[in-house]
Amino acid sequence: MFDILDGVLERARARGAREVEVYGERSTSRRLKVYRQEVEQITAAQRQGVGVRVFREGAVGHAYGSDLGDAALDELVARAVANAAVSDPDEFAALPAPGGPPADVHPFDARLSAATDERRIELAVSVEAAALAADPRVKTVEDTMYADGDGEVFIASTSGVRGSYRSNQCYAFAYVLAEEDGQVETGYSYTVGRALEDLDPESCGREAAERACRLLGARKCASMKVPVVLDPFVSAAFFGVLSSALTADAVQKGRSLFAGREGQRVAGELLQLDDDGVRADGLDSAPFDGEGTPCRRTPLIGGGVLQGFLYDAYTARKAGRGSTGNGIRGGYAGLPSVRPTNLVVGGPVTPLADIIAGLERGVIVTDAVGVHSGANPISGEFSVGISGILVENGRLAAPVHEVTLAGDIISMLMNVTALGDDARWVPGGSIFTPSVVIEGMAIGGT
Amino acid sequence: MDLASFDAGLLRAALRRALGRGGDFAEVYVEDRDSLGLRLEDGRIEATSGGRELGAAVRLLAGEHTFYAYSDAVDEAGLFAAADAVAAAVRSGDGGPAVVDLGAVRSDRGRHPVAIPPESVAVARKALLVRAGDEAARSAGAEIVQVTVGYGDTRQRVLIANSLGDLVLDDRTRTRFTAQVVARRGDVIQTGHETVGGSAGFELVDEEIARGVAATAAGKAIAMLDSRPAPIGAMPVVLANGFGGTLFHEACGHGLEADAIAKGASIYAGKLGEVVAAPIVSAYDDGSLTNGWGSQAFDDEGVPTQKTLVIEEGRLTGYLYDRLRAREAGAAPTGNGRRQSFRHVPIPRMTTTYIAPGDALAADVIAATPKGFYAKSLAGGQVEPASGNFVFGVAEGYLIEGGRLTTPLRGATLVGNGIDILMKIDMIAGDFEVKTGICGKDGQGVPVGTGQSTLRIAEMTVGGTG
Repeated sequence: MFDILDGVLERARARGAREVEVYGERSTSRRLKVYRQEVEQITAAQRQGVGVRVFREGAVGHAYGSDLGDAALDELVARAVANAAVSDPDEFAALPAPGGPPADVHPFDARLSAATDERRIELAVSVEAAALAADPRVKTVEDTMYADGDGEVFIASTSGVRGSYRSNQCYAFAYVLAEEDGQVETGYSYTVGRALEDLDPESCGREAAERACRLLGARKCASMKVPVVLDPFVSAAFFGVLSSALTADAVQKGRSLFAGREGQRVAGELLQLDDDGVRADGLDSAPFDGEGTPCRRTPLIGGGVLQGFLYDAYTARKAGRGSTGNGIRGGYAGLPSVRPTNLVVGGPVTPLADIIAGLERGVIVTDAVGVHSGANPISGEFSVGISGILVENGRLAAPVHEVTLAGDIISMLMNVTALGDDARWVPGGSIFTPSVVIEGMAIGGT
Repeated sequence: MDLASFDAGLLRAALRRALGRGGDFAEVYVEDRDSLGLRLEDGRIEATSGGRELGAAVRLLAGEHTFYAYSDAVDEAGLFAAADAVAAAVRSGDGGPAVVDLGAVRSDRGRHPVAIPPESVAVARKALLVRAGDEAARSAGAEIVQVTVGYGDTRQRVLIANSLGDLVLDDRTRTRFTAQVVARRGDVIQTGHETVGGSAGFELVDEEIARGVAATAAGKAIAMLDSRPAPIGAMPVVLANGFGGTLFHEACGHGLEADAIAKGASIYAGKLGEVVAAPIVSAYDDGSLTNGWGSQAFDDEGVPTQKTLVIEEGRLTGYLYDRLRAREAGAAPTGNGRRQSFRHVPIPRMTTTYIAPGDALAADVIAATPKGFYAKSLAGGQVEPASGNFVFGVAEGYLIEGGRLTTPLRGATLVGNGIDILMKIDMIAGDFEVKTGICGKDGQGVPVGTGQSTLRIAEMTVGGTG
């Protein structure tokens, strides 16, 4: 692949471009679905392509393609150069310089490469079996999926950036429908890792079933202002949305409610939030980001105080500082943009049982729909539909659904008063979070 | 590479290889997609980006099993490798049915006419549109602090061959223009969003249209600066035309997709012929709507798109099928088998889904509501088809008092259950409009249209902070 990358750099030079970066990707993946203990779908995939960025006096042109033949690469380079002529120049846009040695991270586990389709199927079948066996009220497992990916990325530039690494990951997922007295409730769970041996199919299936079944009998509750406990799945969804406001891109473009608040209290005192691109068990850990900058750990919130933001090469230059290694690409066709790697929510924890025992009245939120559409990371306001379990006098009481949870992100963070001892990885953004307790949240019901 | 002259012999050979060890339906999908994206933010056109992606997928159906393989290589080696991969997954060992000789290529180029092919227009000319949009939004008021304007066009050519002998070439051009505007007054930050798009060419957007879209987005953001937190509770809700169609998309459309029906994971399963909505409600999914953003001549399985009546005067009349689910259900495919790209398995998806217009006047619907909530623009939503519970955010909302719109309201979410809400629709106006969006399902995003006229829901839960 480096031959191809060097060929692209050479072609670009021949067209008069001096600052050029090329990114290549080559990967394979497997995805399978099981339904009623039989394979429903198997997908085998191969993917490759390159993306090239040309910087011309601060104007950026980008082009990408999957055809790596000579004629296609000629066209790709011509297109990137032509696109640079259309973009507006920006004094801070420049080819990223080499950012030092790659981080000492090895996101590849050879055991996954040895996995057979038989083993993958067996694993997915056992996820579904565990869900079906967990409770007689499980009506069906609508979706049982196993997926893995194994990819290599390559980067080279005229400024001397040059590197490659290989990474892999796998996960299984179950989405369960439970039914009782004509009422249907849903629940899901995941198990993630870098090898089949890391996955726990039984607990994944069982948990998805339990999450659905415990909502059976749910009704609307009265509107009220109470403490809520966001379970790790729901907490991860909120921190995922929130993280976009913690990027320098959002700050510099006037789209962040955290702009100008560095050093200020923005959250409950016990809250710690890090972006950690080098954590050994983080699925999005990597030696370097999509611009060749080494990954690292970046504290975002510490002791409730805003510590800083995430940067790629462009936003870092604009801010007069270094990149934090958060120039992330969504594949060869995408431009790098400022995004988190692994988000880690931490701080002093309290056993979850003690948290519940200490609540006179509250709601454990186990599902939130509309976090991505109902939460506005710019204004900070959100209003989402939730399901969960009422807590009364320190005990779990009736399940609730079809109610809303609304507020604004800053007040919500400021009112974080406790963290559970149940931290776990939630995929779909790679977030490690425990249950999070928030005082005084508005529940909208009857 | 030109899909129009692709070697039919190679396609047939790949189909035969795919069926070599069993299975009962094989399909080859070859895609050539060329895209351009222009984005202006902070007054500056950022990295202009374009690219071309080629790829091929082979799908094999064996009973209820689906085997799928794809590759970026569209030559013989790539196609045969994908065909061999799906064949290897079949366990029966017996050969599948003979591959019917592929007929002449079918295509329907005039179905969604393209007056000005976007690839014939210089990128610099397209840049003028985003600049015009930026200018219009910024001139809307001093409170505008950020403007993001996007222009994108795509030409996607797909060639679909299957073991039934179908050979279809669909040539799709889509163009879209979007504006997102942020307004700020003191600590209050509000956003406005507007878009125009279609299965059409560059003729869809000129400077005047670009300015109009951006000014509308700016107007929404500014109007919401005066907003106060929305109330909490159940009340009559009037949904405006256009974006209000998201309600039907979420509350009903997803539940009519035949994969959810087949698994009993939809509240609409088993309810054909039953009353699921108020008698004034009729609704359609129409993938053939001329130049519609969600339209194509053929779906991604080579089935011609069509207009499907899904609710007739309150009664459920149909589901949205792809080939696989239609075959299982003994129904005819409805042209709803769609995929994001060759990297995705086709599944039942909506195209342009809408509630048919009624005969009331929009102003009368509001005037007939003494107290309620008016949702002018929706931000997007989500549904669990199994329970029918849905939620969506309101981007622009107002209080209705004494039959008139009064205070702008922010932070509102509408929550409800599909059939329950459809049954409570009690007024529908005639101001029909379709808006464009990208709908996500199973990790696949496809262009869809959502539409409706202004309508009223007698009672619905509004979740606000006030």
